[in-house]
Amino acid sequence: MKSASALTVALMGTAALGLLPYVLAPYYIGLLVPFFGYAIALLGFNLLFGYTGLLSFGHAMFLGLGAYGAAVIAGVLGVKSFELVLLGVIMATMIIALPIGFVCVRYTGIFFGMLTLAFGMLFHSFLFKFYHLTGGDSGMRVPRMSILGFEFAGYNKIEFLAGPFYFYCLALLVVAGFIMWRIVHSPFGLHLRTIRDNAHKAESLGVYVHGLRLAAFVISAAFGAAGGAILGLRVGLADPELVYWTQSGQLVFMAVLGGFSNFFGPIVGALTFTLLQDQLRSVTEYWRFILGVVLAVIVIGFPEGVAGLAVDLRRRLAGKPA
Amino acid sequence: MSAFANILAGGVFHAAVLFLVAAGLQLVFGVQKIINLACGSFYALGAYFGITFIGYATQLGVTPWLILPGLIVSGILLGFLGPPIERMLRCVYDRDDSFQLLLTFALVLMFQDVFKFFWGANPRSLDNAYLIYGTVSAGDFSVPVYNVLVIAAAILTAAALGAFLQRTNYGRILRATAENRGMAEALGVNVRRIYSVVFTLGAVLGTTAGALVVPTAAASLDMAIEFVVEAFAVVVIGGLGSMRGALAGALIVGMIRALAIVFYPELEVLAIYLIVICILLLRPSGLFGRALA
Amino acid sequence: MAISRRRLLASGASLGALSVSDAVFAPVVAQNKPVRIGVLAPRSGIAAAPGENGIRATEWAAQRFNAEGGIAGRKIELVIEEESSPKDTIERFSKLVQQEKVDCVQGIISTGVGLALGPVVEEARALTIYWDGTTQDGVDEKIPNPRFLFRSTDNECEAIMSSLLTLKHWKGKFATVAGINPDYSYGRNNMAAFVALLKRFNIEHKVVTEQWPKVGTMDLTSHVAALKAAKPDLIFSSLLFADLPVFMKQAHAAGLTEGTKLVFPAAGWQHTLMKKEFTPEGMLFGHNTLYFANPNASALAKEFVSWYEKTYKDYPEWEADRAYFAIASYKAAVEKAAKTKNGSWPSQNDVIDAMSGLSVESLGGKGSWRKDHIAEQTFVQGFTTHKNNYDFVTLGTFETMFSTDLQKPPGANFWEWIKTAQFKV
Repeated sequence: MKSASALTVALMGTAALGLLPYVLAPYYIGLLVPFFGYAIALLGFNLLFGYTGLLSFGHAMFLGLGAYGAAVIAGVLGVKSFELVLLGVIMATMIIALPIGFVCVRYTGIFFGMLTLAFGMLFHSFLFKFYHLTGGDSGMRVPRMSILGFEFAGYNKIEFLAGPFYFYCLALLVVAGFIMWRIVHSPFGLHLRTIRDNAHKAESLGVYVHGLRLAAFVISAAFGAAGGAILGLRVGLADPELVYWTQSGQLVFMAVLGGFSNFFGPIVGALTFTLLQDQLRSVTEYWRFILGVVLAVIVIGFPEGVAGLAVDLRRRLAGKPA
Repeated sequence: MSAFANILAGGVFHAAVLFLVAAGLQLVFGVQKIINLACGSFYALGAYFGITFIGYATQLGVTPWLILPGLIVSGILLGFLGPPIERMLRCVYDRDDSFQLLLTFALVLMFQDVFKFFWGANPRSLDNAYLIYGTVSAGDFSVPVYNVLVIAAAILTAAALGAFLQRTNYGRILRATAENRGMAEALGVNVRRIYSVVFTLGAVLGTTAGALVVPTAAASLDMAIEFVVEAFAVVVIGGLGSMRGALAGALIVGMIRALAIVFYPELEVLAIYLIVICILLLRPSGLFGRALA
Repeated sequence: MAISRRRLLASGASLGALSVSDAVFAPVVAQNKPVRIGVLAPRSGIAAAPGENGIRATEWAAQRFNAEGGIAGRKIELVIEEESSPKDTIERFSKLVQQEKVDCVQGIISTGVGLALGPVVEEARALTIYWDGTTQDGVDEKIPNPRFLFRSTDNECEAIMSSLLTLKHWKGKFATVAGINPDYSYGRNNMAAFVALLKRFNIEHKVVTEQWPKVGTMDLTSHVAALKAAKPDLIFSSLLFADLPVFMKQAHAAGLTEGTKLVFPAAGWQHTLMKKEFTPEGMLFGHNTLYFANPNASALAKEFVSWYEKTYKDYPEWEADRAYFAIASYKAAVEKAAKTKNGSWPSQNDVIDAMSGLSVESLGGKGSWRKDHIAEQTFVQGFTTHKNNYDFVTLGTFETMFSTDLQKPPGANFWEWIKTAQFKV
C-alpha cells in the first residue's frame, strides 16, 4: 500500500471517527471505546499474523496483562496517570512476553497456535487460582485515571468515556497506527515478510529468523497490553474471562474479518465486529451461530476481508484491471 | 491401599475418555494436518445426542442393558456429519494452516448455539444408567462395571486403530498420505476420499467418547469449550500426529490430575499446564512426536 | 400460552376490583405508553439454566400484571438482553439504559458481573435490581450505600442457614468434616462461613480434606476418591452447577453417600436433576428462596409452579423467585410512589425512595428491601425424602428462616458479625 493513499485513508478515517460523537447516539460512542482498545491490540496482533505469518490463539493473554497491570499500577500502587500506567503495563508485558515468545516462536503454523492457546489458558488458570493476588473470578478493580494530567472530575464516568476519553483513545490509535506503520515499512518489517513467505530461504540469506520472530512477538504483546489497559479502564474491572481462549479466537476473527493482509484491515475488522455483534445481540439470542457463519463465509469466500473487498471495489470503480 | 486403587481407577477412566478424543485429533492431524478446535464440540454433540438416542430407545422398549452398545451406536451415527464438515474444510486445504484453524473455530461458535437450540439451557443427563451393570468391589475399593467397560472399549479401540494403521492396506495408504500427500496422489490414491474417511473417523471417535461419558456425568452447554484445553494438553504432551502419543498423553494427564486432586488439590489444573511446559522445554515435539522444523 | 377461560374471568374480576379502588392512581400520563423493563440474564454457558428460570418467571409475572392492568395502569414491556462477561454485560446494560431507554433494569446472576456493573449502575443513575448478583468482593461489601442499585441477599445466607441447621440436628454426631466446593468466590465464601460457625459454637471438628473442583468440572471421580480416602462424617458442599448432580451420581457409585451426613446449601438450583437413584434421603438440602413443593406456599406460588410445569414440563428453582421478587417489588414501589403523587407517574427518585423498606409477597414467601438496598428474603432448607411422585428428591421435613437471621446487618464486618451475632439455633 502506497504511503500517499495510506495517509489519505488514515486522515479520512480519523476525521470520520472524530466526528462520530456529534452524529451518533451516546451509547454507540461508549461502544466504540473498546473498539479503540481492540484496534490497537490488533495492530500488534497483525504484525505477528499478517506480516510474520504466526497465528496466535492466546493473544488475549496480553490484553489481560494490560488490564490487570492497570489494576495493579493504578489500583494497588495508586498511580493515577494513564500515561504512566500505559508505560508500566507495556514494559511489564514485554518482559513477560519474552520467555513465552522464546518458547513459542520456535514453531510455526498450527503448533504455534496451540502453544499460545495453552499459555493463554495457563494465565487464565493462574488468575483464577491465585485469587488472593488476582481477585479470582471477581477480578481486580481498575480505577478511573487522569489523561494528560487532567482529572475531568466534573464528568461522571459515562460522560468521561463518551467524551474526553473517546478522543484520547482516538489519538492513541493514531499514534499506535503511525508507530506500526513505521515498523512495518522498516527493514525489520521487510525481514518479517520475508520470513513469512519463506523462512528457510530467509535463514539462508542470513536473516536471524528466531530472533526477529521473537521481536515481533514482543512488540505485538506491547500493543496488546495498551489495548488491554483501555479495556480495563472502560469496564472498570480486570477479570479472568478477558483471557479465555475464545476471546483470543475473537481477536483472530476481527483480524480476518477486516482483512489481515491489509494494514488497516484489523482496524476495520474491530469496528465491523463491534457493530455487528451489537446489532446481532439485539436481534437474536443465537448470535454466536450467525457470527460463526460469518467467519466461515469470510474464511472460505472472502479471505481478504472487508478491507480487501473495499480495495477490490475501489479498483473496479477506478476501472483498473483486477 | 484401596484409596490408591480408587484413585487409579478414576484416573484411568478419565484417561480412557481423553484417549478416544485425542486419538481422533491425532488421526486427523497426522493425515490432514488439521487441528480441530471443534473437537470439544463433537464431544459435546456425542453426549447430547447419546442422551436423546437412549431416551428414544428406552421409549421404544429397548432394554436398559444395551446402554453401552447403544451409546457407541449413537456416537457412530453422528459420523454422518463428518463428510459435509470435511467438505467445508476442504475449501481451505490449499491455503495457510491458519485458515483451517479458523474454520474449525467458526464451527465451535456455530455448535454452541446448535446445542442451545436443540437441547436447551438445562444440563441433560441419563439417569438409571450408571449402575446398570453393577459395581466391582474388593473391600473399600469399588468401581462401577460401566467404567471398566469404557476403559476396555478404549483399549480395544487403541488396539484396533493400531492394527488398522499398521497391518491393513488401507491403514498403510493412510500413513503414506500422511507422510507425503503429493506422492500418494501421484501413485493413484484418492486423497479426497481418504481425507473424508479420516475426518469422519476422527469425528466419530470424539462423538463416541462424549456419548460414553454421559452416564457418569452430564451434558452441558459449556462442555465443548472447556474440553478443548484438556484435549490439546494431551496432544501436546504426547506429541502431535502420534497415536502412541495420544495414549501416553491421555494416561499422563488423567493420572496427574487424579493424583493432584488427592494429594495436592490446590494444584489440580495447574499441574497439567506445568507438565505441558516441562515437555515443551525439555522435549518440544512431545513424547512421541516427530521433530518439527 | 393458552389462557384458560377461568383465568380470563378471574383476571376480569380483579380488573373490576382494580378499577374501583385504584382509580386514584390510574396515571394521568400517557396510559398507552408501556413501562419498559430491561432484563439482563445469562442465556448460554453454565448459568443458562437459572437465567432461563428467571426470564420465564419475569415473563409470567409481566403477563399476569398486564392482565390486571399493568403497573399503575401502564402495560409492561420486557426487553431481554444477555448477561455474559463483565465487559459485554456492561455494554448490554448501557444499551438498555441509553438506547432502549428502559425504566428499570433487572437481572444479573454472576457475582463477578454484579461487581463490575455496580459502579456503572450508579454512574448511569439507572434503577437496577439484581436477581442474584451482589457487590461483595468475597465477604466485603464494595458499594455500601448505593442509590440506584438494589442487590440480592448476601451469598453466605444459605451457608449460614445450613450451618445452623447442622448444629440443630447433628450437633455431637460428627467429628470429621470434608468440603467439596466450586473453586470460586461463592464456593469459598460458603465453606468459610460454615467452618466459621462451627468454630463460633465451639463444635469439635476436624477438616480432613477440602476439595476445590474447577467450576463446572464433569469428572469428579478423583475428588470422590479423595473424599472416600479421608473418611469424613460430614460433607459440606456448595456445588450448584451441572457438576452437582454429576458429583452426586459419582459419589453414590463409589458408595460415598451411605452413612455420611451431607450438607448442600445450594442444591436447589439443580433440584430436578437430583434423581432419587443416587441422591440419598436425609440429606440437608437448600432451596434458597423458592421450594416449589412447599405445602405452605401461597396460592400465587402454587399457581406459578403449576403453570411452569404445564408450560415447560419442569419445576422452577429459586432464580424464578428472585426474578419475581424484582419485578413485583418494582411494581409495588411504583404504585406506592404513584399514590403519594396523586396518580401522576412517579420519578425514578420517588420509586427508589418507595422501594427502600418495602415488603412484598414473593413466590417463596415474604421479601423486603433494606435501607442499604440489600434484599431480605425467606429461605427454605430441609432434609430430603424419596416419598413423592417425582423422580427427584424433595424435602420431607424443612425449616423456614428469614434472612434477617442469616445475613450481616448493614455496614457490619462479616467475621466480627459471625463471632458476636445472636443466632437462632
